[in-house]
Amino acid sequence: MFDVHEMEVNFGPQHPSTHGVLRVLLKVDGERIIEAKPIIGYLHRGTEKLFEHMAYPQCIPHTDRMDYVASATNNLGFVEAVEKLMGVTAQIPKRAQLMRVMLSELQRISSHLLWLATHAIDIGAMTPFFYCFREREEVLDLFESYCGARLTLNCMRIGGMPDDLPPGWLEDLEKFCAKFDAAVDEYESLLTNNRIWKRRTVGIGVLSPEEAIDWGITGPPLRGSGVEWDLRRAQPYECYPDIEFDIPIGKNGDTYDRYLVRMEEMRQSNRILKQCMPMIRATNPGEIKAKISRVVRPPEGEVYHSIESPKGELGYYIISDGKSQNAYRCHVRPPSFVNLQALPAMARGHLVSDLVALIGTIDIVLGEVDR
Amino acid sequence: MQVEYPKSSWTDRFLLLDLLEGLKTTFKELFKPKVTIRYPEERMEPADRFRGMFRFSYDRCIACKLCAVACPIDIIYIDVHDEMRDVDGKQKKMKVLDRYDIDVKRCMFCALCEEACPTKPKSIWLTSKTYELATYDRNDLYFNMQELEYWDDKPRYTGLPPEEGEEPRAIEGQKLIEG
Amino acid sequence: MNPWLRYLVFPLVKFLIAFVIVQLIVMAMTWIERRMLGFIQARLGPNRVGPYGLLQAIADPVKLLLKEDILPSSAEKVAYFLGPMLPLLPAFVVFCLIPFGPPPTFIAARVNVALLLILALTSTGVYGIILGGWASNNKYSLMGGLRSAAQMVSYEVPFGLSIIGVLMLCGSLDLVKIVEYQERNVWNVLPQLVACFIFFVAMNAENNRTPFDLPEAESELVAGFHTEYSGMKFAFFMLSEYSMMLVNSCLMVSLYFGGWTLGGVVGSAHHQIGLTTAVLQSWGLLGGIIGTVIFTVKVMIFMVVYIWFRATFPRFRFDQLMDLGWKWLIPLALGNIAVTGILVLAGAEWLLSVFGAVVLIATIALVVRGPRAAPRQVAHASRVSEV
Repeated sequence: MFDVHEMEVNFGPQHPSTHGVLRVLLKVDGERIIEAKPIIGYLHRGTEKLFEHMAYPQCIPHTDRMDYVASATNNLGFVEAVEKLMGVTAQIPKRAQLMRVMLSELQRISSHLLWLATHAIDIGAMTPFFYCFREREEVLDLFESYCGARLTLNCMRIGGMPDDLPPGWLEDLEKFCAKFDAAVDEYESLLTNNRIWKRRTVGIGVLSPEEAIDWGITGPPLRGSGVEWDLRRAQPYECYPDIEFDIPIGKNGDTYDRYLVRMEEMRQSNRILKQCMPMIRATNPGEIKAKISRVVRPPEGEVYHSIESPKGELGYYIISDGKSQNAYRCHVRPPSFVNLQALPAMARGHLVSDLVALIGTIDIVLGEVDR
Repeated sequence: MQVEYPKSSWTDRFLLLDLLEGLKTTFKELFKPKVTIRYPEERMEPADRFRGMFRFSYDRCIACKLCAVACPIDIIYIDVHDEMRDVDGKQKKMKVLDRYDIDVKRCMFCALCEEACPTKPKSIWLTSKTYELATYDRNDLYFNMQELEYWDDKPRYTGLPPEEGEEPRAIEGQKLIEG
Repeated sequence: MNPWLRYLVFPLVKFLIAFVIVQLIVMAMTWIERRMLGFIQARLGPNRVGPYGLLQAIADPVKLLLKEDILPSSAEKVAYFLGPMLPLLPAFVVFCLIPFGPPPTFIAARVNVALLLILALTSTGVYGIILGGWASNNKYSLMGGLRSAAQMVSYEVPFGLSIIGVLMLCGSLDLVKIVEYQERNVWNVLPQLVACFIFFVAMNAENNRTPFDLPEAESELVAGFHTEYSGMKFAFFMLSEYSMMLVNSCLMVSLYFGGWTLGGVVGSAHHQIGLTTAVLQSWGLLGGIIGTVIFTVKVMIFMVVYIWFRATFPRFRFDQLMDLGWKWLIPLALGNIAVTGILVLAGAEWLLSVFGAVVLIATIALVVRGPRAAPRQVAHASRVSEV
């Protein structure tokens, strides 16, 4: 049972740094963590059960609310999974594909900005929070002018996109892309070289590549450990094969590497956006939907389709019974849920102050973990 | 592609240039324009496609119930009945809309109902650029047909509950900022 | 003059005036901090309560006064009440000893071992924090209180050691004589640049300010030692923190930045340029007030630097904090003492000033020029897809 020196501390569900309602049960010896056990389920809303009672187009707003920080990629994963089940992936027009890619990359920028803001403020630097949110406001404004909502976007439909781009959207996007690199430079000037930041993040939460693959971790934590695996290159979807971008990978697998990987991913997303803009100008406006029926009734079968969301590999497993408009079973593989498994392994031996940095570096969103 | 680890020379380490660089950035920010919008004197105007409060048009609605079917949470309540009406001298069977209620407090503003509506222009739409829907009583958020149509004429709340028998006041002199 | 007047009444009156002004500055600091933090963070600070939110400084203490005074049932009563009051006492008493302007009028009690007395008094500020953390009967408060006490005690040592260099140069513990030395030679920041830096870091750590504010970090221990305090007791802790910040800034200005003088002489004692003590004293009361204003401006610059540091840096982890204090600052301070001592004995203090000036100018030039980072080259596409 308990040793004389051990104390059980509850890093409770209500805490400013747990990014939601995550409860971590800690066994500490003074300040050293001996064991950290994450307890989840405080945000469970029964999304997968709801999917069984709703028609496929009606499920899309519900997928928004799982990873509420990056909802466009949630939509994209579901929509692509259903299209794969129906076999219409090749019929999606190029313009719709480009729009999907642009929205996903914008969402990646927005999600990483939120990650940086909360991670920095947990470690104590309070100003990057406000600077990141200032840039995020502009991304959300872009979303708002396209689909009408800022956070829960509902911006993709099975077979294409709901609307075409509003006039002036591409010009606004160009303005944003032109100044975003300088903004990332500003955040880096505050944090990357800073010796206090480095002391708080270098060597914390080291994950070796073998360990990361064994736990099933995907996304920036995997790439920070040195494994070059990105679904946009490994299992390309949409029009990613036509776009040039790099996949940043780290070396040591510690928190600093994951930070550098995500900063570089923001720059690469900016690069993707800059490439997509002339490509989308070359397509005909108006071709945004494939010719499929309004009533979505996929044939009998099952499909698992995954995409690279900002947090990792987001997968949808759909079983359809061919007769009804609802899925028979729709299971979501959330990246944060699987990445959270690494927390006890990473936290062993560190101090309680490092736990905050670790929860931030895995970048979990409880809406996704609990669904 | 390997991430770049920043290289620091001995001057960086001894003269604390990395810390001073951060101080320089925050100092420069002191003089840049601030992004605060002083609500409620200033208000950001949402975009044209913003999914706000509903508007409904009884004249255009053909009572097809497609919006109620499309809604993921089934908050649109529609009752119709058939009637024989005189149109161009002939008796035609038409649908008459009895009840069109929306329970806005459960709505997630996903606009699937607007997409499902077959009329051109749409009979139900969400682009009213209004997001201040807070009320003091839950039942105020259950809108029937008349309220949905003439909703725009209702004055907006200032934030204080009205006195007994008083009408809620609209905000005067509010400055709108283009979003 | 009547000895009662000279040794009791006048000092008491001077102390009360200084005390009132200091409390006003502390209240203004709450407004300055919030507003300046807001401006650095691309937002406005408080701007509702008065014009530019100025009345916020009054609204905050009024709110704290009107709050319910809680006593947790399992808390130790006497220690709980005593905890917030103890850090205030040294903060108030030290204001008697600091020279705000040219002597003899603008210092409440001129003691010839003023520096030693100030060091001793500020060290007693630890008691209140330990009592406050322990009396709350809450394991997080206890952890926060002990951590804060350990931090304050371990940074007292570099705090004291860094001053010894100044003492060797000036030859006296009297703050007035130290300022007069500075106006005859050069502001002590130049010959003692390293010691000034150590003093500044130790000052930040003593006041539990970022980057050393782990005991108060919200994201980890709720609020540390003052979790269970509300209302006026919490206000006392905050008041003592800001008063200690002010005391330390005044010390910094007196010891390293020339006190109430502006300008002086480099080298010779005969050429007097600028507003030196003699010049100010020759103008009588007006000169004294000018000297006080100069002193206040310099102190406010340091308070603003405190806020600037809080906005910019992340915080240290506790063991890294202790590492910094014991393993880096103390050896650096001891080294500074050794070098200063050798050079003073050899009569070559100007070497120190030259070294300080060169390092300062080099740092400023490098910061203004900016980082030397090569422009990020756009890497070629990597088509490695399979693992």
